Amino acid sequence: MTSSRLIARYAIEHADHFEVITRYADTTETLHLPKKAPILSSLAAEHPAAIWFERKMQDDFGLRLEGAWDTRPLVQQEYFPSNTHPLLASFDATQSLTPIAAHPYPYETVDGDGVFEVPVGPIHAGIIEPGHFQFSQAGERILHLEVRHFYKHRGIEKMLEGTNPLHAWPIVERISGTESLAYQIAWRDILLQATRTELPESLRCYHALLLEMERIVHHLTDLGFIPNDAGFGTALAIASRLAEDARRQLKRLTGHRFGFGAVRQDIPAAYDPQQLLAWVKQLEQELQTFSDWILDVPSLWDRFDTTGILSHDDARTYDAVGVVARASGLPLDRRDTPWYRELGWECITETGGDVAARFHVRLREMAQSLTLVRHLAEQVVPIDTEKWGTIKDGRYEAFVESPLGELYLTADLKEGKVKRFFVRDPSFVNWQVLHRMMPGNIIADFPLINKSCDLSYAGNDL
Amino acid sequence: MVRFWEQRAKRGIVTEHPEWEEEMAALRKELKKGIHKHFAGSLAIRMVDSGSCNACEAECNALSNPYYALERLGIHFVASPRHADVMLLSGVMTFNMLPHVLDAWEQIPEPKWCIILGDCPLLEAPFTQTYAIKGPAAAHLPIHHHIPGCPPTPEEIIEGLLAFLKTLG
Repeated sequence: MTSSRLIARYAIEHADHFEVITRYADTTETLHLPKKAPILSSLAAEHPAAIWFERKMQDDFGLRLEGAWDTRPLVQQEYFPSNTHPLLASFDATQSLTPIAAHPYPYETVDGDGVFEVPVGPIHAGIIEPGHFQFSQAGERILHLEVRHFYKHRGIEKMLEGTNPLHAWPIVERISGTESLAYQIAWRDILLQATRTELPESLRCYHALLLEMERIVHHLTDLGFIPNDAGFGTALAIASRLAEDARRQLKRLTGHRFGFGAVRQDIPAAYDPQQLLAWVKQLEQELQTFSDWILDVPSLWDRFDTTGILSHDDARTYDAVGVVARASGLPLDRRDTPWYRELGWECITETGGDVAARFHVRLREMAQSLTLVRHLAEQVVPIDTEKWGTIKDGRYEAFVESPLGELYLTADLKEGKVKRFFVRDPSFVNWQVLHRMMPGNIIADFPLINKSCDLSYAGNDL
Repeated sequence: MVRFWEQRAKRGIVTEHPEWEEEMAALRKELKKGIHKHFAGSLAIRMVDSGSCNACEAECNALSNPYYALERLGIHFVASPRHADVMLLSGVMTFNMLPHVLDAWEQIPEPKWCIILGDCPLLEAPFTQTYAIKGPAAAHLPIHHHIPGCPPTPEEIIEGLLAFLKTLG
């Protein structure tokens, strides 16, 4: 019997011990490890996606893993100094590290006659974030893929330690630019709890509207890029035009094309729902045409159908979230609340688990997001908002359904400052399940499968 | 499918959207001249992300949408640094990316130029310095031009590329 879904596992340093928090969907477990022998039992046998959390703790704090099949460094790459644990309080955040002579990273490989490796990355052919994919191949067929990331590691967790939570906004907004509004709403929820503030309903509607706008931009972009990776450029030409329209609407609403700064600011006094609603109506029509057309292109669906299947069991075992989980039949969505249900929200799932299913989920969610925007737009009224109150110390957590999936953010606040900031981007778990979609597929379909999941590197690497 | 072509014919060419037409025409004229002079017809850009938030990449992708249609100016993004004239660098230059960025730069044949994109490579974005950041980019590479913004809009990127070409005079 497996326990409930694993959301995150992370550590906090105290004077004489490490506290390891394991957040499940329905419970939180806390372990205390003595500093002299900080040995952590791995959960990876039951929850394979625990391994990145644990390897991260090994790098960040120097915890030692017990019962783990994989104890390679995760965040710290070839040139990273040994025995360096940046999240320890004794480690000066701003110190400049000197690269050491490279110690090669042993990739997961498959042995056998004629089996060969294809290393891809960290810099990719297109305009994409950096990350490494190591393929074990038998001819064109993929036997195994190892995803290796953290090239973009900026040290966000350490960067935010010691800051005033009210001053952390500009950084939180830029952890993952294409999920900025989700991160902002998560941070808003942390601050609301810490200052014991109630959110005015009009503001809640406005932020929810912005979150759907971000999802619309994101899904539209994917609806173009996924077919493009199957060589069908016309879809990209159409969807990228619609995505640009949506981004311009976001700019009209917030003053910024990605909505940076939007959640900490008031609703603009010039807020006008009519113009927005006219655009929604137009996009709904265009989306219908797009949908009728693209669903009727057999050569495209020949590439989508049965490609990169993630089974329902694998999605659950690997604790997958977001579009990836929903396309494999897991009804996981943080908008599953009475408030959203009242607006007409329903969890959209597919059962195929392939590229086609993920494309369908995005297509249907797009239509739903437009309906949500239509309902929310009328409820937004510019209001005077009060200033944040005094920050109360404590541990706070927030969940938001970003365009990619469930975002989990937690902060320990002490003496009005951030003591520990931890965030688990939906990509952090979904990257770990990507390899389960590969066996039996040809390497030429990898970009298509990867794009159908559209995961974040910046949010993952922090 | 018939309906698609009907719609397509009805819509016409969105690139000539009145909002952008004039400005783009002027830009196009100037850019084409610059490109002919220095790059025999086209400018090839290798985009490298050294630790961005992905917004700069999203805006560079937007350059190919029908509103901006960057390639009609003879400017295109290429898959290999060996095909590139310019490295367009975004991000804060992380400890982990630095060796790979330098490797990519080395692979670009001479003559080559490095343009930094957004506020990150100057460390002017809100991120504060940490152990994991080796920026600013200028500490590691010769920087020829900067396109500011967080992130710069597609329009600002195109104008920035134009301004870069002007510096080559």
